[in-house]
Amino acid sequence: MPLQQTIKYEADRDPHFADWIQSVAGGENLRQCIQCGLCSATCPLSLYMDYTPRRLINLAREGFKKEVLSSFTIWLCASCYACRAECPKQIKVTDIMYTLKRRAIQENAFPKRFPIPVLAREFGKMVFTFGRVNETLLVIDLFLRTNWLRFLSMTGLGLNLMRTGRMSFLPESIKRREELRKILGSLEGKDEFLTWAGPVAKLLDEKEMLK
Amino acid sequence: MRIGFYICHCGTNIAGTIDAAAVRDFAAELPGVAVSRDYKYMCSDPGQEMIVQDIRDNKLDRLVVAACSPSLHEETFRKAAAKGGMNSFFFQMVNIREHNAWVHEDKAAATQKAKDQVRAAITRVRFHKALEKKSVPVNANVLVVGGGIAGIHAALTLANAGKTVTLVERDSTIGGHMALFDKTFPTLDCAACILTPKMSAVKNHPNITLWTYSEVSKVEGYVGNYKVTVKRKTRYIKEDLCVGCLDCIEACVFKEPKFRDDFNQGLSKRKPVYMSFPQATPKLVTIDPETCIQLKTGKCRKSCAEACDRKAIDFELKDEMKELEVGAIILATGFSAFDPKRHAYYGYGRYPNVYSALEVERLVNASGPTNGEVVLRDGKHPKAIGIIHCVGSRDEHTNKWCSRVCCMYSLKLAHLLKEHTGAEIYDFYIDMRTPGKTYEEFYDRLLQEGVHFIRGRVAEVNDWAMTPEEEGKLVIRVEDTLAGFVRRIPVDMVVLSQGLEARKDAGDVRRLFNIGCGTEGFFQERHPKLAPVSTFADGIFIAGACQGPKDIPDTVAQAGAAAAEALALVDAGHVELEPNTSHVVEEECCGCKSCVPLCPYSAISFDEAKKKASINEVLCKGCGVCAAACPSGSIRQNLFEDEELFGEIEGVLS
Repeated sequence: MPLQQTIKYEADRDPHFADWIQSVAGGENLRQCIQCGLCSATCPLSLYMDYTPRRLINLAREGFKKEVLSSFTIWLCASCYACRAECPKQIKVTDIMYTLKRRAIQENAFPKRFPIPVLAREFGKMVFTFGRVNETLLVIDLFLRTNWLRFLSMTGLGLNLMRTGRMSFLPESIKRREELRKILGSLEGKDEFLTWAGPVAKLLDEKEMLK
Repeated sequence: MRIGFYICHCGTNIAGTIDAAAVRDFAAELPGVAVSRDYKYMCSDPGQEMIVQDIRDNKLDRLVVAACSPSLHEETFRKAAAKGGMNSFFFQMVNIREHNAWVHEDKAAATQKAKDQVRAAITRVRFHKALEKKSVPVNANVLVVGGGIAGIHAALTLANAGKTVTLVERDSTIGGHMALFDKTFPTLDCAACILTPKMSAVKNHPNITLWTYSEVSKVEGYVGNYKVTVKRKTRYIKEDLCVGCLDCIEACVFKEPKFRDDFNQGLSKRKPVYMSFPQATPKLVTIDPETCIQLKTGKCRKSCAEACDRKAIDFELKDEMKELEVGAIILATGFSAFDPKRHAYYGYGRYPNVYSALEVERLVNASGPTNGEVVLRDGKHPKAIGIIHCVGSRDEHTNKWCSRVCCMYSLKLAHLLKEHTGAEIYDFYIDMRTPGKTYEEFYDRLLQEGVHFIRGRVAEVNDWAMTPEEEGKLVIRVEDTLAGFVRRIPVDMVVLSQGLEARKDAGDVRRLFNIGCGTEGFFQERHPKLAPVSTFADGIFIAGACQGPKDIPDTVAQAGAAAAEALALVDAGHVELEPNTSHVVEEECCGCKSCVPLCPYSAISFDEAKKKASINEVLCKGCGVCAAACPSGSIRQNLFEDEELFGEIEGVLS
């Protein structure tokens, strides 16, 4: 394995990253972290994380955006809220994880072929497009984007589920999808939603606007 | 002879290792023992009452208690003996806890050792003589040495209690380190605003004599009766005439200030005639003999003297020696800041934009050399500043201890620098130590202000650029131990948070006042918990950072405590002294003077007329050096007379 340089220079930092996290709801207390590590110790998933929650908070606060957004940590967070409940400085760690997840999808910075962020993105796209999730399409989409060999091994199970009517190929959609988009559009950070929902939703949105 | 013997269980402290009943029964059989008892806690009221009752009922005339260390309860049992009607010094204590139970595991052997110890004491106590404590009168005046915030507070407290106080300060003004500061943590009170009222209160207090530019040169005497010689250096100014108008400074033949201004940490220049800062107390100018042309060569126009319409300048003035008599002394001589040059890898003295924390205190100070504007030595305004903690602290190469105030003052400087410059601030710490009321909250505030806190000891500050952004900057190399990698951080200004250490001449001061120092050089308190402002020299107290690094609130609290201890001493009017002193049996003294230089308390003098040594029993601390050294055996020490010691040896060996 080639040796990698691990030193960080100031140019490796995004000096506005911490300010941005603090500007998003839930991130206000980011800088109050005293690095006690209780979040990491209480986290049931930290044993699988590349950066523990404590270290991730420190990296985020110091502006190491690339490291934070490409980490597995934010995707392994199961939103159990144990860290948020116990943090002595009342930092909303879970909320910050969500903020970072959204940003990672926006910037396409998440670890490639890692199923959790891909699922999150595709799930969102589908809901914002159709108002419903079609499990068959979502599952196929997910496997093809991450691990298509696994798709082959799961075919039997999929067919059984379809045979018993648990999954369907028929696309489902809600009525009056434009109303859903209006609701979503009125949310804060509409632009963010558009990027988040992906190009399909954006296309639909533009079509609506053209009408 | 009717001896009463008591063995204490001390809960299980003693009884867990030593068979108390066996020792009791053993002692009961020894010759002369009339009463032998064991009890769970001899120091308790019922325990003491048992002794008192036995002395009365059984007409005991000697008392032996086997329990803990005499330093804890000797006085307790002496009092019990006295209450029963026995001379307190017919009592001997045996330490079977620290000297036995706590250090042994073999119960049988420990019990045997306890029996030997007890037999030694019982054999010795027969030879005890009736002794009385001596009472000596106490002078009610107090000397305070050092005019920093500790000395100021102690002097004011005593003066307010009606005592006559002399405050001696080496510098030309009182105020100490606190006068250098702009703000104080964590409340950010203006240091001058809270200090200068106390300074002028000292100056104006009818009970305080303020001697600045003065040093204690000799201390003689003993508790309650010290005779102190103070050298009053001359300022070449008639102090009663000078009003501090500063016309002389204006008129000095040096048109521009040319010499290092110590008060501003060398960030500005001063003339040979100077006043440290506008609120200097007393408000007097001083002429520096090292730089004044008249004082160095005698060939100056003396334009300063001409300019003084009160004719206050006199180059013929000489230093004066003054004598004082005081009952108690409070030492508040403060600390030295660590010289950051000793950490060569931080570049202090090599890179102009590396500053010591004290320099930055002056730099951010509205009355400092730049009126509070943070301008670097190269004239630039910093955009990024690195503050490095623990410079000269927690390091086996320099000072091992934590200097206790650096974290907090670094946070304060981080806040002030951010406020003054808007720069990006990087704070490099090993551990963030904020243990004080509202201190952690202050750290919290700094975290919110967006200061970068990087945990790691900085390895190096240099100016070798490795990336374009590092060009022309000072680069700090540190492992960010929280992020888990090494970082290089380019900054415009580096602040080195110097630790606190004992003053260079603390050893001389220690010898002058005959007190102790720890290995790190700070003055040694009598007990770290229970006698924190007392020293091993009775009547000499310590306050402030001369005892160890501490912040202003702790210093003031300690100064108040020292004042209270001094007050308790001088207000009592007299003091009782232990009778375990030595005396010379004159007819046996051969006049060899061996003992005279050995006495660590200078208690022995030589009577040239009689050719005999004589011991001042008030000065004697009972160390026994003279008694052991005397070749003719003519020095005897109370409680350690030959027959007592031989009795003890015989008892332990038989």
